[in-house]
Amino acid sequence: MSTNTDLVAQKDQGKNISKQLPVIAPEVDVFENDQEILLQADMPGVLKEDIVINIDNGKMVLSGIRRLESVGADTWKEFGEVEFRRNFSVPQSIDTNQVNAEFKDGQLCLHLPKSEAAKPRQIEIKAG
Amino acid sequence: MFTHLHDMHQFLGAMDLFRNRMNTIFNDFDRTASPAYNWVGTEVHPPTNLSDSGDNLEIVAEVPGVKKEDLEVKIQGNYLQITGTRKNAPPEGYKTHRTERTRGSFSRSFTLPYDVDASKAEATLTHGLLRLVLPKAETAKPKQITIQ
Repeated sequence: MSTNTDLVAQKDQGKNISKQLPVIAPEVDVFENDQEILLQADMPGVLKEDIVINIDNGKMVLSGIRRLESVGADTWKEFGEVEFRRNFSVPQSIDTNQVNAEFKDGQLCLHLPKSEAAKPRQIEIKAG
Repeated sequence: MFTHLHDMHQFLGAMDLFRNRMNTIFNDFDRTASPAYNWVGTEVHPPTNLSDSGDNLEIVAEVPGVKKEDLEVKIQGNYLQITGTRKNAPPEGYKTHRTERTRGSFSRSFTLPYDVDASKAEATLTHGLLRLVLPKAETAKPKQITIQ
């Protein structure tokens, strides 16, 4: 006999599991040109739907959960199920509405375009 | 008020990072101490998992950003070699701020616990993971013995 007194089965168990996953920082490359900042992060084994990118108040949180299906007994194991998570400070010159991301072959490519006001501009000198 | 909160967040973020690093240090310690694992640390590249499902050996390797045509897998008896090149040169016309990701060529070889049938081996590459399913050779497969 079950001693569980809950009337409704609890559905938040998935959430609990994700909280217990070890968190590691993904390796990133960051590049910049006049138009944008380009961030590339390695997240091998993560599915596109499991990636969350939040930008709020000048802070960006990058998170991706990797789940592995395992078959049989492990002979050795050098990587496991993890959450890739890392925080970045986003400069004010970035237009956060225009940020776009693509994910391919386990690497995330994030384009952070600079706002018009922040792009370098050449001033023409008028003849006086 | 906001700036204070932000500072606090940054500080806690750094602490988290530090704690995670410490956690992985101990993982590596456990691994080297256990006789079931090879003497491996975080230096080996690419990291792999090997599992045994009775009929098959399955090996999974982390190879983010590596193209199918840049990977090579060789099998001979119980010897397995994975070689590849990662072509992620910095994009043209960009200034580099940070390069933490690995680049260039890598190679890793293994002595598998059993002989495998190379002609039936299957390899797939999805989301930056290379998965090899290697059927054990007939002689290496488990046999059921009937008790007289």
